[in-house]
Amino acid sequence: MKHLRGIAALALGAAVAAGVPVAGAKAAPQFVIGVSNTHIGNSWREEFVCSIKAEALASGLVSKIVLANREAGPSEQIADLRTLISAGVNAIIINPSDGKALDPVIKQAAAKGIIVIAADQPVEAPEAYVVTGDQQAYAHTGAEWLFKQLKGKGNIVEMRGIDGTPGDAERKKGFDAAWKGYPDVKIATTTFMDWSNEKAAQQMAALIASGKQFDGVWTSGIDYTVIEAMKSAHRAYVPFVGADNNGFIKQLIDYKKDGLLGVAVSNSPAIGAAGLVVALDLLQKKDRPHHVVVAYPSWDNTTDAGVEALKTLYDPNVAPTDPIYGAIPGYGHFTAAQEKDCKGPGE
Amino acid sequence: MTATTRADRLRLLIVRNAALVGMPALLALFLGATVAIHPEFNSFDAQSLAMAALPLAFAAAAQSVVVISGGIDLSIGSVMAVANVLASSTMEEASFGRSLVLAVLIFAGGAVVGAVNGLLVVVSRVPDVIVTLTTGFIWGGVALLIQERPGGGAPDEFLDLGTGSLFTPWLSNSLILLVVAVAVIWLPVRRSKLSLLIYAVGSDRVAAFRSGVNIGRSRVLAYVIGGLFSAVGGLGLTMTTGIGSPRAGVLYTLSGLAAVVIGGVSLVGGRGGVVGPVIAAFVLTLIPSDLIFLNIDPNFGQVIQGTLIVLVVMLGGLATLLRRRP
Repeated sequence: MKHLRGIAALALGAAVAAGVPVAGAKAAPQFVIGVSNTHIGNSWREEFVCSIKAEALASGLVSKIVLANREAGPSEQIADLRTLISAGVNAIIINPSDGKALDPVIKQAAAKGIIVIAADQPVEAPEAYVVTGDQQAYAHTGAEWLFKQLKGKGNIVEMRGIDGTPGDAERKKGFDAAWKGYPDVKIATTTFMDWSNEKAAQQMAALIASGKQFDGVWTSGIDYTVIEAMKSAHRAYVPFVGADNNGFIKQLIDYKKDGLLGVAVSNSPAIGAAGLVVALDLLQKKDRPHHVVVAYPSWDNTTDAGVEALKTLYDPNVAPTDPIYGAIPGYGHFTAAQEKDCKGPGE
Repeated sequence: MTATTRADRLRLLIVRNAALVGMPALLALFLGATVAIHPEFNSFDAQSLAMAALPLAFAAAAQSVVVISGGIDLSIGSVMAVANVLASSTMEEASFGRSLVLAVLIFAGGAVVGAVNGLLVVVSRVPDVIVTLTTGFIWGGVALLIQERPGGGAPDEFLDLGTGSLFTPWLSNSLILLVVAVAVIWLPVRRSKLSLLIYAVGSDRVAAFRSGVNIGRSRVLAYVIGGLFSAVGGLGLTMTTGIGSPRAGVLYTLSGLAAVVIGGVSLVGGRGGVVGPVIAAFVLTLIPSDLIFLNIDPNFGQVIQGTLIVLVVMLGGLATLLRRRP
């Protein structure tokens, strides 16, 4: 462990060394991690930050999280990143507000020996390590499941995210790649529900009222309110693709007897924790590629085993429209309870 | 005329220039607190402050001129965004010289936008809150039409005007740029009859009218200067971020207004200056970074900002009371 101490001392510099306990024979908490997030009041982003705090605690390697968390654009995020650099952190986990504007400040951080991780969304700066989920694979997994359920024939509803965003464009590519293999599947309607629970539900209600025929629904991750809209309109359920939101997990368990078949494709906010896992590996001089693509799991309720798995995921204390808690397999050691606590080391 | 003692005169001097005495003191207090919280404060931090405060300082300067004239401009953030994306979309492939020419054109565009706002307010007689809120939506849409999503760029020498430091790392270019721009735009106005007209219109429109002031023209000119400052602020965003972002300005309308109030400009008009709000922009920029150093949720920054505004407005009321005493 001697080399660890050396690395830590090098990276910390004189400025913060006084405040950081020096590692003993066992690896003690020694790294200071900065986090920069620019959307507040959004449950996915709150969980993103909480997953980092939880993993920091669970890893036992982090002495302190320094959090820059405010509603901000690139200009403010640059200021926040400069503050984090100045605060003497060893690594920074960024959910970037822009892929290019942060490049100069990332370069400055890297020049000071700070590991910079862009989690969830990429940045262009070659100094940064990018940890993202595979959005094409996300869409492909759900679409492939849906087309198989329909035995390759039928009319489907495609409910996309926000038009013009990189995330939506990536998912469309994945969806189309799967769709290409099923020439008899027709898209009856495409909507942009803007990742809004209310808007998606209204669109489903309007669609049912219009009397348009559909045999399956693919959504870009808004599910609970859409299913409820179908339920209150007494529309017969059709195979449905959603995400790992708590309420949808419960619907997959409870409404199966009423004919609801569906798949929950995870787009876990614990990608933040995955960023920290990569950062801690790098701080301990383990090799990591500059772009880490995290594979997301999915769960469906077509088998009894699937329903049992969904039952272990459901958490009665989480809001129905919030994603379930817990680490992405292989990218973190924290428990759902730790994430829900949202407390980092020393808090 | 009653005889005044020296103490009275001194008191009046301080009361009349409360912002000019108080704002540097407030900034010194916050800087002192920052150094106490973060003893390693060095030239890197000084540069961070100057860079982050640059766009807000121009937004504050723009708003203060309009507020002094008795108006309000809720389109400042959107005008900044238009200038920001205009710069980043036209300068990406341009040379340094060409981008300076483009910058001057964008400044002129800002002045024209200000004139449109001012004319709409004066001619239509619709309250300025409504007019500028509406034009703000329009300019926000225009920014999105020019550049749908963040991107573009500018030559490195141009970005260096906002991010580099020519002389010493402690004195960043953005600070020099701010001082020069405010001096070049505001000093000639302040020294001419125009500023008298703007203050007169803001202070008492009827009295100004009876004294022969052309009310409409004075108000429009205040909006023109505001538009010019907004455009400079938008270019400040381009310099410090290196890109154009159609939504970059949204935060600056209201934080600029906060800086105006903290900087000692009376919201009813006719009182205050441009320097106070510009210094207040630095105070407001220090708050979130201090909170990060202290590891307190930066959203408390809004609470602190609001508290500061309440304190300043109360102190302003006190100053008015003191001034009224014979």
